[in-house]
Amino acid sequence: MILKVSLPLVALAILSSLFLISPPIDPEDAIPYADVEIADRLAEPRMTGAGFATVTSDGATLTLSADRAAPVAGGAEVAGLRGQLASADGAVTEITAAAGKLDRTAGQLELHDGVRLSTSTGYEVVTDSLTMGTDRSFLESGGPVTATAPMGELTSGGLRLDRAADGSTHLLVFNKGVRLIYRPQP
Amino acid sequence: QGTEVSFGGLKADTGLPVEVTAESLSVNQADGTAIFAGEVLVKQGEMRLQAGEVKVEYDATGKAIDRLHATGGVLMVNATDAAEAAEAVYTIASGEVVMMGGVLMTQGATAIKGDTLHINLKTGTGRMEGGVTTTFMPGGN
Repeated sequence: MILKVSLPLVALAILSSLFLISPPIDPEDAIPYADVEIADRLAEPRMTGAGFATVTSDGATLTLSADRAAPVAGGAEVAGLRGQLASADGAVTEITAAAGKLDRTAGQLELHDGVRLSTSTGYEVVTDSLTMGTDRSFLESGGPVTATAPMGELTSGGLRLDRAADGSTHLLVFNKGVRLIYRPQP
Repeated sequence: QGTEVSFGGLKADTGLPVEVTAESLSVNQADGTAIFAGEVLVKQGEMRLQAGEVKVEYDATGKAIDRLHATGGVLMVNATDAAEAAEAVYTIASGEVVMMGGVLMTQGATAIKGDTLHINLKTGTGRMEGGVTTTFMPGGN
């Protein structure tokens, strides 16, 4: 009989004094994260997954995205850039480059380090450097390019994307001397 | 009346790779037509074709070249024979070259003029048509 009364009383006593021995809760450090990342972000301000889309003066839509974009004087250093220029009549040029520099005043992007272009007309172009307009349909390689075309392999001293004379579509011009090898299928 | 011409020197293997060099190649991004311009030189085996401009015309698949359309003054040379004209169309698969516009063909000592010259590179034969005149240069080359 004594147990029936004393045991619940003892349980009650333990329960009520439990809060005395629990670890103190510090509301300040509510979210556990590494300070390193914060310091890194503060030291080097940058955007990850930056994106940008516009319609150029001749009605082509230009979309650009970069894995990283760090602001520098007059523009930004970008890394892991992917771009697409789609002219009004559906011709599409895809551009990828490992790195580049956005020059805001000149409204262009200087791409270097593994620049590749692929066009809807089946041309895959590789070059070392490329300048690209950010507000107009303009592409120009800094030096020689090699390309695989629907009709064979192609090398040329330079490459430019221009608007056709009648302004209807884009012209991909391989200039400064071009050489094509076409192997007829038997 | 056409003059049968044997273009012996012009037998060419049309399966050989074709090399085209020029100052520029501009590709229309909408329909893919490609135009070589500026001292265009087309080489295939022994055959050389020089022109001011060469337009590449694709076949239905768009992957192979069907015809090369050369304009702006064309000179075609192969071993011993040479032919000049204003324009030429070379259909690679069939090996046929049609030269048009004031054609002048020289074969060693003979010179043949006409309006159009059909050459078949595979058989090395050709046919000149339209006001054909043949002149022999005495004393040869």
